[in-house]
Amino acid sequence: MNRRNFIKGSLAGGLAVAATAKTEKADAAAGTFGGYADSMGVLVDLTKCVGCRTCEAACNKEQGLPEPDKPFDDYSVFDEHRHGGLPRRTTEKEYTIVNRYEVEGREKPLYRKFQCNHCNEPACLTSCFVNAYTKTPEGAVIYNPKVCVGCRTCMIACPFYVPTYSYSSAINPVVKKCIMCYDTRLKFGRPPACVEACPQGVMTFGKRKDLISLAHKMIDAKPGKYVNHVYGETEVGGTSWMYLSDVPFEEIGFNTHLGPQPIINYVKDFLAIVPMVLTIWPALFTGFHLLATRKQANKDESNKA
Amino acid sequence: MAQLIRNPFNWILAVIYAVGLPLTIGRFIFGLGWATHSSYDYPWGLFLGWGLFVMVPLSASGFMLGTTVELFGRKDFKPIERLGLLNGLLGYFFAVVFLQVDLGQPWRLVYPMFVSLGPAAVLFLVAWHVATYLSVQIAELVPAASEFMGWIKPKKFIKSIVLGLTIAGIILSTLHQGALGALFTYAPGKVHPLWFSSAFQWFHFFCSSIFAGLSMLIVVSTLSKWFLKWRCDKTFLESLDRCTLGISKGASLALITYLVIKFIALAHDNNWGYLLTGWGQWYLFEITFGAIIPLALFTTAIRSNRAGLARLAAFFAVFGIALNRLNTALIAFNWNLYQEIPHWREAIIAIMVYATYIVVYRAVLYRLPILYTWKGDSK
Amino acid sequence: MSLKRGKLIGLAAIIAMASPFTQPLNAVGEVFELSSLSNLYEGVSFDHDMHIEAASDNCAACHHHTAGTPTQDPNCIPCHKNSGEAESAACSSCHEAEPFTSANLEKTANTPYLHHKEKPGLMAALHQNCLGCHSEVGGPLGCQDCHTMTDKGEKYYNTGKYAPKPGKETGHH
Repeated sequence: MNRRNFIKGSLAGGLAVAATAKTEKADAAAGTFGGYADSMGVLVDLTKCVGCRTCEAACNKEQGLPEPDKPFDDYSVFDEHRHGGLPRRTTEKEYTIVNRYEVEGREKPLYRKFQCNHCNEPACLTSCFVNAYTKTPEGAVIYNPKVCVGCRTCMIACPFYVPTYSYSSAINPVVKKCIMCYDTRLKFGRPPACVEACPQGVMTFGKRKDLISLAHKMIDAKPGKYVNHVYGETEVGGTSWMYLSDVPFEEIGFNTHLGPQPIINYVKDFLAIVPMVLTIWPALFTGFHLLATRKQANKDESNKA
Repeated sequence: MAQLIRNPFNWILAVIYAVGLPLTIGRFIFGLGWATHSSYDYPWGLFLGWGLFVMVPLSASGFMLGTTVELFGRKDFKPIERLGLLNGLLGYFFAVVFLQVDLGQPWRLVYPMFVSLGPAAVLFLVAWHVATYLSVQIAELVPAASEFMGWIKPKKFIKSIVLGLTIAGIILSTLHQGALGALFTYAPGKVHPLWFSSAFQWFHFFCSSIFAGLSMLIVVSTLSKWFLKWRCDKTFLESLDRCTLGISKGASLALITYLVIKFIALAHDNNWGYLLTGWGQWYLFEITFGAIIPLALFTTAIRSNRAGLARLAAFFAVFGIALNRLNTALIAFNWNLYQEIPHWREAIIAIMVYATYIVVYRAVLYRLPILYTWKGDSK
Repeated sequence: MSLKRGKLIGLAAIIAMASPFTQPLNAVGEVFELSSLSNLYEGVSFDHDMHIEAASDNCAACHHHTAGTPTQDPNCIPCHKNSGEAESAACSSCHEAEPFTSANLEKTANTPYLHHKEKPGLMAALHQNCLGCHSEVGGPLGCQDCHTMTDKGEKYYNTGKYAPKPGKETGHH
């Protein structure tokens, strides 16, 4: 391909992309994608959870997950620890789990529900090189097992350690994680199974923006009841699932050092150099070559002379 | 055959295969969970940590030598160019083999190319660039194969486009070596700050791949000199010391640059405090033995014209780069959680694949005109 | 304003009729069955008399208001001091069995009042009310202290005769 064709081609390609993706571009130009305006979300009021594990059972049934290791009304799981003394986490068989935290100065233990937080700009999605992830306008981050090659970069990238992988499968291992019941419920405007099953009303389902305002109103209405922070409102660019707590989030296993930047922002330094290298290197190194070999040519000539 | 049995190295290989082959087959029957300690928290183990992140920088010699000889016209490095190219090609090829052992679904290997594309992801770049670069390297080695097979046309054709291939090699290498580093910028909180720099990560990986590839080339040429002397021709043996020292110059320049950027990254993110921790000591160990000592040895070797010292330096540098990549990908990864030790099966399978790499390497060196010049061409 | 209120009452009435929880709760002195979870659990026989006694005749300990008295809930008083008597004491007259239907979402999104927004659904209201008090006065707290699991429930919770066989754990660390 000669240079003119190359430039023509890239211009045409660029224009086509610009035309098809105009709406997303507006956000992208501003630096980050702030999430879909009418995205749904869930506000989890951790102070209300009593650790009954009904959400775990509901998830298991809704998603057709395999039989658990222990019954869902067996509360000895709260004493389980995995590698490194860490509390339970989601697995390929459990998309959501509840952990118990004994917090100093709190009369009763605090229970924390854990599942995919459904980021506005998900690290799993932006790190996936086969486009297996989709952030739906409803807010769910869903996954397409048909195209996944199993590189597990999404698991490296997820700041919440959410995606899991069916390591036991030799033929077709896939990533497993909460999809906010997208296929069976969210798509039809219904809340995820765990939300609906919760007897304590720990979770409130609604539009993300409504939930943020609700969360702040709840914090303001009863000063001292909640920690003055809605976890997930700003973390890694905001998440669809958000949390209220009456004890500092770092004491109940939340990572409070994630910062407000979506994970992709940390990668942009590199992404920015890609077009530079692609366009500048050929000219630069051809120039080097000409310079270097001209010296050689001169030398040859002077040798001759 | 008798020769095969006489070589003690073959006995070691036989043991490795006797244990490794069943385990490798087991990995494809029982899955990754059976063979490795890869977990939800530690998705990547030795297959990628060693096979991809260590093998690829150590194989940067291909584009380095191609650039030196073809682009900068340094014909004095010609005797070692093909070894550099071969080291590159085989390293990349076996990185892909390691990747395959890790992914386990060979039919999906082409998905990122043709089935479902995620062009905004760093790994997309790695996949495409490693794949295209592999073909570039195959093309660059076509002359060697065509000489062996007695073809003339392919060699002539490659010669006519060698400059284009070389420049493509530089672009692809800059980007995918850098991209391997940039992959970790997806995990800003997971990699220990001493091994992480969102601004410089790609440059750390790219810059260190330069001296990694060059040092690996010195190591391989040294091993060839020791164990395959009969296959080397006079040109190769006579110019080896000079080439080694020449390569050392390049490597020490890259090492200095690398150390400076490492230093700037520390200052940029203000990570000095971490140096006083246990992680800091481990970091200083890596920098000292993997970068400062080889740099000192390289420069001494160049000044005093001692190729032997440069070879020692190269061994240190290769160790340093392997340690750096393992640190970033496995050891300092999840430093806030817990340490993961690879499963013994995982280690053995990795050793077996690496042994295969050595066997293939040796087999090619035995036959193709890499260490010697084809008679028809020496005129 | 009055139109809006009328609409709201109408809605509440519809929901109250549609919900499985429609018995009049003003029947002081009865034992009755709470059966909104009858899918997974047997109905809960609720001894109203006993609870009245336990609360020393203070209806507001459980109900924000009874038919006949204005609200006594501190969240509601600021606005509803003069709202007069409530029409029904049934929980389901305010707390929806399905709080997250799109109609309800719209309603809660549009109301400016926080306590209307954070009003729990029927199941949550009952559990928060019962468990909140039980944990204070030492009443039963376990799920099956009040609910008897049905066969369906045992299946749902993988317990009882549906409990996983021990020792077949294949957990990956």
